[in-house]
Amino acid sequence: MNDVDGSPTLKIALIGNPNSGKSTVFNQMTGLRQRTGNFPGVTVEVKEGTLRFPSGHEATLFDFPGTYSLYPTSSDEKVVASVLTNPADPYFPDAMVYVADVTKLEKHLLLFTQLLDLNIPLLLALNLSDSAAELGIKVNASKLSESFGVPVIPISGRTGHNTMRLILELEKMVKSHRSTVNSQQSTVNSQQSIVNSQQSTVNSQQSTVNSQRSTFYPLTDSEKQVSEAIRQNLGVQNPYRALLLAHHSNWLHFLNAQEKETVSTIVSTKNFQSLRAQVDETLERYDRFIPISQAAVVSPPAFPNTPTDRIDAVLTHRLGGPLIFFTVMMLVFQAIFDWSVYPMDWIESGFALLSDFLTAQMPAAWYTELITDGILAGLGGILVFVPQIAILFLLISILEEVGYMSRVVFMFDKTMRRFGMNGRSMVSLISGSACAVPAIMSSRTIGNWQERLITVMVTPFISCSARIPVYLVLIGLAVPAIKLGGVLSLQSLVFGAMYVLGVLAAFATGWIMKHWLHRREHSFLAIELPVYRMPHWKNVLMNVWEKVKAFMVGAGKIILVVSIALWGLSRFGPGDSVEQADRAAQTEALQSSLDSGETQGLVQQRRLEASWAGQAGKVMEPAIRPLGYDWKIGIALLTSFAAREVFTGTLAVLYNMGGSEADINDRNDNEAKATLRERMKKEKFGDTGKPVYSLATALSLLVFYALSMQCFSTLAVVRRETGSWKWAALQFTFMSIAAYLGAWAVYALFS
Amino acid sequence: MQRRYRTVPDLKANESARAIAFDDSALACKLTSMGLLPGTRIEMIRKSPFGSAYYVKADGVRLALRQEEAASILLEL
Repeated sequence: MNDVDGSPTLKIALIGNPNSGKSTVFNQMTGLRQRTGNFPGVTVEVKEGTLRFPSGHEATLFDFPGTYSLYPTSSDEKVVASVLTNPADPYFPDAMVYVADVTKLEKHLLLFTQLLDLNIPLLLALNLSDSAAELGIKVNASKLSESFGVPVIPISGRTGHNTMRLILELEKMVKSHRSTVNSQQSTVNSQQSIVNSQQSTVNSQQSTVNSQRSTFYPLTDSEKQVSEAIRQNLGVQNPYRALLLAHHSNWLHFLNAQEKETVSTIVSTKNFQSLRAQVDETLERYDRFIPISQAAVVSPPAFPNTPTDRIDAVLTHRLGGPLIFFTVMMLVFQAIFDWSVYPMDWIESGFALLSDFLTAQMPAAWYTELITDGILAGLGGILVFVPQIAILFLLISILEEVGYMSRVVFMFDKTMRRFGMNGRSMVSLISGSACAVPAIMSSRTIGNWQERLITVMVTPFISCSARIPVYLVLIGLAVPAIKLGGVLSLQSLVFGAMYVLGVLAAFATGWIMKHWLHRREHSFLAIELPVYRMPHWKNVLMNVWEKVKAFMVGAGKIILVVSIALWGLSRFGPGDSVEQADRAAQTEALQSSLDSGETQGLVQQRRLEASWAGQAGKVMEPAIRPLGYDWKIGIALLTSFAAREVFTGTLAVLYNMGGSEADINDRNDNEAKATLRERMKKEKFGDTGKPVYSLATALSLLVFYALSMQCFSTLAVVRRETGSWKWAALQFTFMSIAAYLGAWAVYALFS
Repeated sequence: MQRRYRTVPDLKANESARAIAFDDSALACKLTSMGLLPGTRIEMIRKSPFGSAYYVKADGVRLALRQEEAASILLEL
C-alpha cells in the first residue's frame, strides 16, 4: 500500500479505555470506510478504517480493543501491548490518538501516560466534551497540552464536534514528525535540520515537543537495570518498551525462544518482581498525572443520586433484576420471531422464483441443477437467517450501548462461574440463540482461558435460528395441537422446552468441563458499570452489520461449499445407479399411469435413494435404528450437516412431495407443511411395517437436533478461536455422543 | 483474633470506607488500572442477585467485583 507521494500508507492507532466512546470516534473519523481485519496469531479483531486527510492523503486508522493499561488481563487487551512492543508488527502505528472520557479524566489517563513513554507521536482526544459541558465540567486543554507535551483536542464522538480539527491536527503532527525523522536521518548535522524543520512547520510548538519530550514515568533503579540489559541484548531503543518486554516476554508471540530465554534470564538474575513493579508503576503514574489533571479540570461536586443509580436500584435489584432480565429476553425472542417473518418470506420466495426461472430458462442438465439445487439453495439457506440474526444483534447491541449488558454480567457472574464460565459468557450464550458463529467470536472479552474455552465449547448447544424450521415441522408432526387449560398451547410449550434443553445441555457440559480441566488461573470479573446513556445508532448499526457479515462470510462460505458438496452426493451415485433408478421410476410411473407432477416426484425420490447420499443412509441405518430412524432420515441427517434446516427440504424430496422445497420452510405455508406431515405419517419401516414417525421417533429427532453439532461453520470458528482442531474435534464428538444418547433415551422412553 | 482491617464484603449497603491496600498483586494491578487506588473511598451499593459479587462505587466509578476481588481490598477501620 502506497500513498500518492510514494511513502507507505500511514498507520494510526486509536487507543483508549473501555467505555471511552472510542468506537463512536472511530465511526466519526472513518464513516463507512471500515472493515474488520483479523489479528494474526491471536484471534482478536482490530477494526480498520480509511482516514482521509483534507490534503487528499489517506491513512489507515486501527481501532484497538479498549484496555485500561499496558498490563493486560484478557486476550482482547493483550493486542494493544503486543503491537506497541513490536515495531516490526504490521499494525505498529506511526501515530496514536488516545481517546479519553473527559468526564472521568482522572481514571482515563493511566494508559495515556504509558503511551507517552513509548515515544510514538501521540494526540489526546478529550471525548464527551458535550456531556462535560452539560455537567458543568471545565477543561483547560492548552494547559493539559503544555503539561503532557502533546496536542490535546476536546471532541464529541456523539455530535461529531471537532472531528475535522482532530484530523487536521493529526496530519500536522505526523508530517512534522516525519520531517524531523527524515532530516535526522539524511543530514550529518542533525541538530541544524531539526531547527529547519521547526521553522518550516506553521505551528511546530506542540509537534516538536512531541518528538523531543522526556519520559513521563522515570524508571526505578531496578527497572532501569532490567530495561538497560534488555535494550542491549535485544537491540530495543525505547527504555519503556524494553521494560514492557520484561513484563510480558512469556506470552509475546513475536519474541523467539532465544529472546524469551534472554529476557527471563535477565528478569531472574536482576530479581525483578514483575507484578509488584506493575502495581508500583501504576500508582506512581497516578501520583504524577492526578495533579496535572486536577490543575486543568474544574468539576462541580458530583450529585449523590444520579439517574443511573436510580435505574440500577431497579435493574440490578436482588429479586427484580433477574426477573426483569428474563422478561427482557422473552420480549427479545418474541420480537425476533414476529419481525423476521416477513423478510424471511421475501427471501425464500425470491430464491424460489429465481430458481424456478433458471430451471425454466436453462437446459435441463446437471449444471442447471448445480446452480439451482446446489448454489442457489445454499445461498438461500444462508440469507434466510440474516433477518433473525440481524434483529437479535440489533437488540443486543442496543442493550450493550445503553449499558445494560454489563449489569447482566454482574448479576449472573456467580451462576455462570458455577458452570465454569464467566458473567461475560452470558453475552455469548444469548447471541448463540441467533447463530453460534458470531456468538463464539464475542467470547474474546473473557480474560481467563479456561472460562473462555468452556464458553466456546458450550455455546453451540443453545438452539440457534437454523434449528427452528426443524423444530416446527417435527413438533407439528408429533405434538397434538391442543391448549392446556384452554390457553397454553402444548406445541409452543414443547418448542420452548427445546430451548430449555439446549440451555441445560450447555450448563451441564460447562460443569463437566470445569471439573475436568480444573486449571487454576487468575480470573477476573472487575467490570465497569457505565453510566446509562442513549444508544448511538451509528454504533448499533455498525455492530449489527459486523455480526451479520461475520455470519455471512464466516459461516456462509462453508455452508455454500458443503451445500454444493452435498448436492453432488445426492445428485450422483455409484456407477449408473442413479440413471437406472430414473428409468425404473419412469417405467413404474407409466405403469401406474401417474400424471407428470407425480412422475417427477417419484423420479426425484428414486434418484435420491440411489445416490451416494442414499447409499450412505442405508449403510447408516443399523446405527440409527435404535433412535427410531430409518435410512431416509439417515439421508436427511447427513444432508443437514451443511445447515440444519436442509433436513426438512431433504425429507420433502424423499417423501415425494414433488413441489418446491422452499415451501416447506416457509412458515406461512401451512399447506406444504401439512402435506409433508401427511406423507411422513404414512412412512413405514421396510421390515416391520410399523409407522416410522411415531411420537417417540419425532421426539427423538427433536432431541437429536437440539444437541447435535451439525454445523461445519461453527467447528471452523471454534478451531480458529481455540487455535487447534483438537477442541473442535472434541466438541463434535462430545455433542454427537450427547445427541445420540439423548435421542436414544427419549426413543426408548416413549416407544 | 480481632482482624485489624476490614475488606469490601464487610461493608453494609450504602456504607463506605477508604481503601488502604491490596493483598493480591495481580488483582491490585487490575483494580488500580481501573482507578481503584489506595485512598479511594469505596461505597457498597448492593450484592449481586445470586451473591458472590458486589456493586460498588469508587470515586464516582461504578464497578462490579467478585467476592475474591472485593475481599482483596483492605479498608480502613
